[in-house]
This record gives sequence, C-alpha cells and structure tokens, in this order.
Amino acid sequence: MNSMWTVMSFTIRSKLRSKSFLITTVILVVLAIVAANVPNIIDKISSGGGPTKVGYVSGEQSDIVQGLQSYFAKQEKPDVELVAVDAAGSPEASLKQAIEDKKVKGYLTFKDNPDIGFPDVTYTSKKMLDSGTSQALKTALQSVKTDQAVHDAKLTEAQLAKLFAEVKLDSVQISDSTSGKTAEQQGTAIGLTYAILILLFMAVMITGQLIATEITAEKSSRVMEIIVTSVSPLKQMFGKVIGIFIVGLLQLVLLIGAAVVNLNLSQNKNALNSLGIDFSAIDSTMILYAVLFYLAGFFLYAMLFAAVGSIVSRTEDLGQAVMPITMLSLAGFYIAIFGLSHPDSSFIAVCSYIPFFSPFIMFLRIGLANPAGWEVIVSIAILLASVLAIGWLSAKIYRTGVLMYGKRPSIKELAKAMKAFKV
Amino acid sequence: MKPLAVEGVVKHYGDKTAVNGVSLEVAEGEIYGLLGANGAGKTTTMRMVLGLIFPDSGTIRYFGKGYGKEQLSMLGYLPEERGMYPKIKVSDQIVYLGQLRGMSRKDAEDNLGRWLKRFEIEEYRDKKVEELSKGNQQKIQFIAAVIHRPRILILDEAFSGLDPVNVELLKATVKELRDGGTSILFSTHRMEHVEELCRNIAIMHRSNPVLQGSLKQIKGRFPRERVVLAGEGPIQGLEKIPGVKGVVRHENDDYELKVANPEAAQSVLSHALAQGPIRKFELMEPTLNEIFIQTVGDRHE
Repeated sequence: MNSMWTVMSFTIRSKLRSKSFLITTVILVVLAIVAANVPNIIDKISSGGGPTKVGYVSGEQSDIVQGLQSYFAKQEKPDVELVAVDAAGSPEASLKQAIEDKKVKGYLTFKDNPDIGFPDVTYTSKKMLDSGTSQALKTALQSVKTDQAVHDAKLTEAQLAKLFAEVKLDSVQISDSTSGKTAEQQGTAIGLTYAILILLFMAVMITGQLIATEITAEKSSRVMEIIVTSVSPLKQMFGKVIGIFIVGLLQLVLLIGAAVVNLNLSQNKNALNSLGIDFSAIDSTMILYAVLFYLAGFFLYAMLFAAVGSIVSRTEDLGQAVMPITMLSLAGFYIAIFGLSHPDSSFIAVCSYIPFFSPFIMFLRIGLANPAGWEVIVSIAILLASVLAIGWLSAKIYRTGVLMYGKRPSIKELAKAMKAFKV
Repeated sequence: MKPLAVEGVVKHYGDKTAVNGVSLEVAEGEIYGLLGANGAGKTTTMRMVLGLIFPDSGTIRYFGKGYGKEQLSMLGYLPEERGMYPKIKVSDQIVYLGQLRGMSRKDAEDNLGRWLKRFEIEEYRDKKVEELSKGNQQKIQFIAAVIHRPRILILDEAFSGLDPVNVELLKATVKELRDGGTSILFSTHRMEHVEELCRNIAIMHRSNPVLQGSLKQIKGRFPRERVVLAGEGPIQGLEKIPGVKGVVRHENDDYELKVANPEAAQSVLSHALAQGPIRKFELMEPTLNEIFIQTVGDRHE
C-alpha cells in the first residue's frame, strides 16, 4: 500500500511539473472558455452590422414593397432594410451598379405569376448561401401575401383571430416518474449527454495515452528494471494508473470549471437559454451516472492502455500498438453519437451491455431513453466485472511485458512468456 | 546462514534452456564473480536472484528465507542497461527509488547527500539526468542501486563504459561496501576486475556453470605452464629441453616459455644456470583470462 502511494505521488508530481502537461492544460482550458462563449459570439456576429440592405426598383410592385417595409418596421431588430433604386434605363443594370457601389447587398426582382395572383420574387446577391437574408425575405413575403389574401377575403375579427391563433404542441417524454421530461429538460439532457460523451471520450483517450506513454518511456529508458525490483509490478501499475487518473481528473475539473464559470456569465446564459438549454433543469442523477461511468470507463481503458504500454519497448512503436484500443473507444463514441438521434433503437440497447461501449452508450440511454432499472444495473454489473477481469489480465500482461525487450511480442509469444515467468 | 544461497536453479524459456542448474553461495562481505560470454545466462541468473522471474526448479534463499516482499528492501541492483528518468531531477528520482525500497524521505535525502559528496558531484543534485555527462550518469545509477544500504547487491557489468579514473573510484567504493559486510554478486567481462575483487567465481557457458570455486582453487587446478626467464646474456638451446612447447624471446632478452609440466620448468632453470647467472625466473600461475578462454573455448563446439 505504502509503495503504491509513493509511485502515485511521484507520478503526479513529475507530471504536474512537466512543461508539456502544463501547456496542454492551458490550451484545453482556453478551448473550453472559447467553446463556452461560442453561442454568444455567433449571436453577436450574426446580429452585428445592422440589417442587410436589399435594393428594389423604385415604383415596382409598390404594394408588396410597402407590405415588406411595414413588416420589417415591426421587428425589434430588422433583418432587412429595403432601399429604392432609381432605374434609369435598364433596371437590372442599375441594380447591379447599386451592388457595385455598395449601396445594397442584393436586390429583389418580381415576375408576375397569374396562377396565384402573387408575383414570383428573385433575390439576387453576390454571396453564396445567404440563407439568413433569403429566409427573412421569404417569411416577410409570406406574411405580406397572407395579409393580402386575408384582406381580399374580408374576414371578421373573430375569424382572423381564429386563423392566426398558434397551434400548441407540447412534447413530453414518457417516464416512470409521474412528471416526465419537458421539452426544455429534453433539450438539456441531449446537450448534457453530448457534452459528457465528449468529455468521457477525451478523458479516456488523453489519460489512457498518457498512461501508455509513461510506461513505455520507463521501459525504454530502462528505469523499469530498477523499479520492478523495488516494488511489485502490480502495485506499480495501479500506482501509475491512479496517479495519472488524479492528474487527468485535475485537468478535467479545470476544464469543466472554466466552462461552467464562463457559461454562467449572464450574456452566455441568455444565448444558451435561447438554444433551450437550462442548467437548473439538469437532473442530479445524470451527474451521478456520469461520474460512475467516467470512473468505470476510465479504469477499463486505462488497464488496457497500461498493458499495451508494458509490451512496447520503444515510444515510437506505441502509436501503432494502441491503435486497436483507440479504434474500440472511437467505435463506442460514434455509436453513441448515432444513438443521440435513435436512443431507443435495439442496436443501441444491445451495445449498452458491451463493456467497452457501455460507458458511452448506457449513459446515453439513461440520459435520453429512460431504460428500466434492471437494465442499468445489469449493464453496470457487466462493466464492473469486465473492469476487474481486464485489470487482472492486464496486470499479468504487465508483469510479463515490462521485462520483454526487443520487438513487440505477438500474443502467442506473450502467452509463452507469461507461462515461462509463472505469472 | 549465508546471505545469498542459490541451489540448482533451472530456467527454461519455451524449449530453450537459459540457465541449467546453477548453484552458488555468497557470504557476508564477499564479492562473487559471475563470468560468461554474452548469452551465457548471467542476466537470467541475476534476474532470478532479484525475484523478477521465478526459477522452474531449484531454490534461492536470502538469509535462509525464501523470496518475499521483505527481501525487496535488502536487494540492490545495478542493471547492465543503464537508465534513469531523463527529465527528472537527480534528487527527486533517487529519493523516489529509495522510498520505493522502504526508506523514509529524509533518510533517503541524507544518504543521497553523503553519496554525492563521496563521488564529488554535489553540484548535480538539482540537475536533470539528461544534462549530466555519461560518467556522472553512471555514478547516479550506482547511487540508485545502493541508496537504501542493501545487504545483497547485484552489479551487472558495473564498470562498463567508464573511464579509468571513474573505474578506480567505483572499484574502491565496491570494496568499501564489501568491507562493510555487503554481499555482492558481480558480473563482468573484465577479468582483471574479477582477479582483483572476487573470492569465488562461476564461469557460465551456454546456460551451464562450467567452472566454479574459489579463485585460488581454480587457478591451482590449472597447471602452471608459463615460465618467465631472464639471464645476464642470451641463453641457448632452450627449445631443445624436453617438455618445452614453445619459446618466445622478448626485446629485452626476456624469455617466455610454455612448458608441459612443472618438472620441465626445473630443467629449464638448471639449463639456464649452466650458461650464466639468472636475473629472473618465475613459474607463472595462469591468468583468469587464459582460464576463461581455455574453458569456454574448449567447449565451443
């Protein structure tokens, strides 16, 4: 116990002092801060610069233009400002000239369409995919057209009110508890699930790689020979894994802390609320499950990374050797991303019992699909059993691997060596 | 009760035999030399003594007890392939290794201070290992092996890659440790070190111990068949004496003769005396180098 503590504290101390670790942490925190502010920044940029100026030939379709103008005038922050362009000679040419002169960003032209009694409108601009403006124009034109039609139909006030009354559709998720999740809670759950999936994946990958690298570095610098004669390999492996775990956790806490602090700034809160995410709607059991699956997932993968790290002699060979584990965790992650939109499919249900996937996928199901209690328990039990089994196997591989130098051993050679070393 | 007793240890790797029945005993304050060509099984033997791998059969006892956790703290190991953490300060890693062997932090730091002083490299205490010269790295490595005052010390190629000054320094240190009562298992290719340091040796060849015993005994077992002779003037007719197998005349009128048996040496002496006064006559004992080459070379096929 004592020497495991020594390995652990040495690992933590030397990691915290290394420059590469400090730099990585700073970069990650900066990224978290930027990411937390992205909704707000996008908001600022897209609303910045005032309304888009759109030209039209003065005098053409005056009632529609008037309707549009009064529609945009009613908006708090108008998307579009209509600018009349004098059409001396060819209207098309003078409109284009107006764009060149930077008086307008684009222009509207009208072509009569007798079938519906409303002209076809073309919005021409230099920009590709100017969907914001064209969407705003389309909505405005639709409204103008409706107004016209309603006006022509000569409806009573009551009829008008009935026509324009909004339809109400609330979507509530079925749940064991009586309340169920409201749309807002669902939005938050999806957002939270997504965020935690990414965190989980990153934590597993980054810290796992770190563990493998540390072990291979010890082996390639031959310090390992002294270490394994001073402390039992098992204690060393677990000391290392737990040490890196604490370092990773520290990094994660910094990362989440930076993100949460920034998300709670008032301007970001508004931006998030407009996306339908509300932190007060977070289910505390979700956080509990997130921590549980993080721990189990981390140790499952960490053991694998430690075992692989122990059989590689040179740091250069490590990338290739950890590839299968990387693939495994990538597969789990992408299945989970797929599951975000189909959380109740049977494929996802099956995957939520497979140990290497379940940290991602069972968590997803808990967040979005409300699985039965026994399903969660079975999945966690399988996961914990695999953590123990993989831990046991990895310890054996580690015990053998740390003493094998030269080319990376095949599974057969490893098994032979394990037998020879009597581990 | 011997500090270290290895009895009939056998180790197979698959169908290959790495060590085949090695037995040895190291007394308190003794340096035991383990000799052999590359791949003879020395490192495997040492690894078994260290408890890194378990023998297929045979026993290893430390002060009469089998291998256990309490043995870890009394074993010190200087591996053949040297290695430290390149990017960590000398003091940090030595203290770490000391703590792993069960020392307190303070004790390890004090002892490190003493050793650095002994090797006159106190200024490197807070340097990273990668910043040190190779010789100084070796000294740090040596300190790492002895920081916890081990009672059994295993030195694999202790002096390889060192300049003569540092070899003398480390040799003196090893002798000090021996005189302090440490039992040392020592492997090397350098025969002159073995002759200087070891009381008992084992020569291993292709996983078998082929020659074992005290240095004196082993040398006694090999006939003295080299004669060094020098007279006032040239000596004639040496090669005609029965039993003389070869004569080499050196520049300074010294002769080196190969003789078949000690009796032939006596007739060489009387033959030489008949021709004038003799300045030098010695029946040399074989060097370990010769014994080694003879022993290992004989069995090469």
